[in-house]
Amino acid sequence: MQFFKTPSIKFLKYKYVALAVTGLIVLAGVLNVTVFKGLKLGVDFGEGTLLRIMLKAPSDEGAIRDLLASVGLGKSLVQRTGVSGREFQIRAMETVNTKGSEEDQLEAHEALADKIIAALRGDDGKAELARGLVDLNTVDERTLSSLLEKSFPGSGPEAAQRVIAHRNAAGIIADFGELSGIGLKPEVTAFLQNNTFLGKLTVLSRETVGPQVGADLRRKAVQATVWSLIGMLIYIALRFKLEYGVAAIFTLAQDVLITTSIYSFTNREINLPIIAGILTIVGFSTNDTIVIFDRVRENQKIMRGKALEEVMNVSINQTLGRTLITSGTVFLTVGALYFFGGEVINDFAFLMLVGTIEGVYSTIYLSCPVVLFWQKLFKPKKVRRR
Amino acid sequence: MKKNLQWKVILALVVIGGAIILAYPFNDTKIKRGLDLKGGIHLVLQVITDDSINMETDQEIARLEELFKKNGITFQKAIKDGLGRISVQGVLADEEGKTRDLFGQYFRDWDESFTGDRATLALKPLVIQLLRDQAVVQAKETIQNRIDQFGVAEPLIQRQGSDKIVVELPGVDNPDRVKELIKVTAVLEWKLVKAGPAPDEATLLQATNGQLPEDAEILKGDPKRGQGGFYLVNKVAVVTGKDLRTVRRTQDEWNNPAVSFTLNTDGGARFEQVTGDNIGKQIAIILDKKVQSAPGIESKIMRTQGGIIRGRFTVAEADDLIVVLKAGALPAGIKYLEERTIGPALGADSVRQGLVAGLVAILAVMLFMVFFYRLSGLNAVVALILNVVILFGALAYFKATLTLPGIAGIILAIGMSVDANVLIFERIKEESALGKGVASSISLGFSRAFSAIFDSNLTTIISAIFLFQFGTGPIRGYAVTLTISLVANLFTAVFISHLLFDLTVKKTAKRLSI
Repeated sequence: MQFFKTPSIKFLKYKYVALAVTGLIVLAGVLNVTVFKGLKLGVDFGEGTLLRIMLKAPSDEGAIRDLLASVGLGKSLVQRTGVSGREFQIRAMETVNTKGSEEDQLEAHEALADKIIAALRGDDGKAELARGLVDLNTVDERTLSSLLEKSFPGSGPEAAQRVIAHRNAAGIIADFGELSGIGLKPEVTAFLQNNTFLGKLTVLSRETVGPQVGADLRRKAVQATVWSLIGMLIYIALRFKLEYGVAAIFTLAQDVLITTSIYSFTNREINLPIIAGILTIVGFSTNDTIVIFDRVRENQKIMRGKALEEVMNVSINQTLGRTLITSGTVFLTVGALYFFGGEVINDFAFLMLVGTIEGVYSTIYLSCPVVLFWQKLFKPKKVRRR
Repeated sequence: MKKNLQWKVILALVVIGGAIILAYPFNDTKIKRGLDLKGGIHLVLQVITDDSINMETDQEIARLEELFKKNGITFQKAIKDGLGRISVQGVLADEEGKTRDLFGQYFRDWDESFTGDRATLALKPLVIQLLRDQAVVQAKETIQNRIDQFGVAEPLIQRQGSDKIVVELPGVDNPDRVKELIKVTAVLEWKLVKAGPAPDEATLLQATNGQLPEDAEILKGDPKRGQGGFYLVNKVAVVTGKDLRTVRRTQDEWNNPAVSFTLNTDGGARFEQVTGDNIGKQIAIILDKKVQSAPGIESKIMRTQGGIIRGRFTVAEADDLIVVLKAGALPAGIKYLEERTIGPALGADSVRQGLVAGLVAILAVMLFMVFFYRLSGLNAVVALILNVVILFGALAYFKATLTLPGIAGIILAIGMSVDANVLIFERIKEESALGKGVASSISLGFSRAFSAIFDSNLTTIISAIFLFQFGTGPIRGYAVTLTISLVANLFTAVFISHLLFDLTVKKTAKRLSI
């Protein structure tokens, strides 16, 4: 089966149009990043606290925002995640006093997180706690184990482990009825009903990065990226020619610019996994570029005397089937991640979807033209021999 | 079968068999999951190494005063004068030589200088460096001890850079308790009480006309232990945490959790003497400059007798105090730079969803390959599965950790693995379109596609190696899985796939299912 016989589309005829389009997108990207929205740095890069919580009963973003606004934390970003309507991601956005020391800031972020959790809880559980009951949705395994051990000597640890395992699988225990199906003795369940209560929420995760580590992570991410680009440049320059290396770098610079700017339009945050995503896009795009360059290298031997532009056009056409098939499968993979991968991986998958499409374009319309322009600029015109 | 082919089959079987043995049975002990997939606590903390230099300076000042007195050198006072600097004031001009001799003999780690009646000692930069380094090493050991005592499975405690320590505790579900356990300096001291408790400092100093006696200091009670108010205590401790021999959880006379202790010979003797001399007075038990309790001394406490520390502890608090006392005090204060708690529920969710997505993705790709390339596509599917098998074998072998970004690396590698097969198959099609026979199309397809596959894989491997070298946590995880899968890719997509063609397609075949 074949999509088409080797096509002969004159891709490079439109190279100036393509360059103009590229230029415009990049310009829009630069403007977007510098003037308008800017890139939203996530918690990994020293920007506050990220909380993920799960509620016992479904709620919506507005209700949570109202709760937070009532304690003066209305600026927090609230996002519903998952399909149950019970999971939320909250990013504390209140400005924290930056005059204080490093530790003050970290602690201020942490205090903010505590405040958010307290606000969401409200009065829930206060009466029960006052009566000496334990919140089964926040208690740790050790404490629960020693609590159960007192009343059921010898079976405390095992029962506690069952309860906690159930809580971990479900995220939160919404009802004591759930506990009947996990192999607890009826008297243990009864004991839990009398001595514990089910708090309104559990904290799924909580991440705070201080400014120092944030700056450090930022620096290292940039450093790692730059060095890996230099490594690629050198290898491609050695295996092909310098201009091909330069073109590859141009191409992936464009990849990074365009994907991050589209990404920034969507209000998503940049965290370390996103950096990995950008690098993945760069990897695919470089892969595409090299496949075409490889074909150009080969065709130059076969099509002696032909202009480079023509050789490139033929090579792009010859590899077009492969480019589309490969990008298609990648798109398939990433699509699966986007739809099934869950919240944590969703931003990453979105970035990849954008990047896969963009990568095909940049390979065809940036890498080859750059080689051509570079040669025009730096290679002296050969005098034709008679 | 050709001999050449036999060896290839054996090599393929050995590699795949090896990978399966390494990764079997695919559980947690073999493939370590990162905190983002498993849940747990990730902490980055900084050791305040200045503390250890200040401590060294304080000790040296005490030693200096003693030596000056012993050698009959006149001086007014010796004070700390900045970080790692001691200034001795009021040294007589005709005793400068004697002072220099003394410094030369006893203070070799210090640079000395004289201006007027003042002698200044500055800790040598190299020694400062050494002290800082020791503080970090000791802090790391102490934290390791505390975590071990507390009991966490597979903790990871690593030094990072000059003064940072990374602590990763998988599966821990009580972050606040652990954070406190690590952070507490845990300097335990017993000091005689001169006055107190009093509601404020002024009341405390009424007896001495508002003057703080030179040999005393004012400490606050620990509100957590129900101790409000202030205490005036001796500067010099009777015994400290270093003199402890055993500590154990016990109950006080009201059945509240408490900590009992016994002292070593040396400390026991001092304790016996001081308690004997001070019956009726109070002795304060001080943890990190906060008074935990200040019981009255009712009788002489014999050296082997020991005692108990009480202060309205919960069981957990008493246990944690025992942990830190057993593990020893931190040589310097620490502060947190980064705190991440990933609940086990979120980790489990990520794994479940990641698994579903991964399976859907792989299945979709496989279906596509079989649909598009028919039997040859099946060939690619086998190569893809083997790639993942080898990856897991290698992850188990290198004891690498699988993280979310690591999964991103695998996706890129799977994409490139499929790409390698697509490149080859498209090339085979091209060659046969030019009228070449099946066997030669296959062999040309592989050899002509190889340079593109090799170059693109190697370029990406090179970039991954740099990422590993310069990157941090998550980015490293990405680089590791990517590198491994790409190396495996060169083996499966090229070598194994070719081998499969050789084994399944007859030399004389007229048509190829592609």
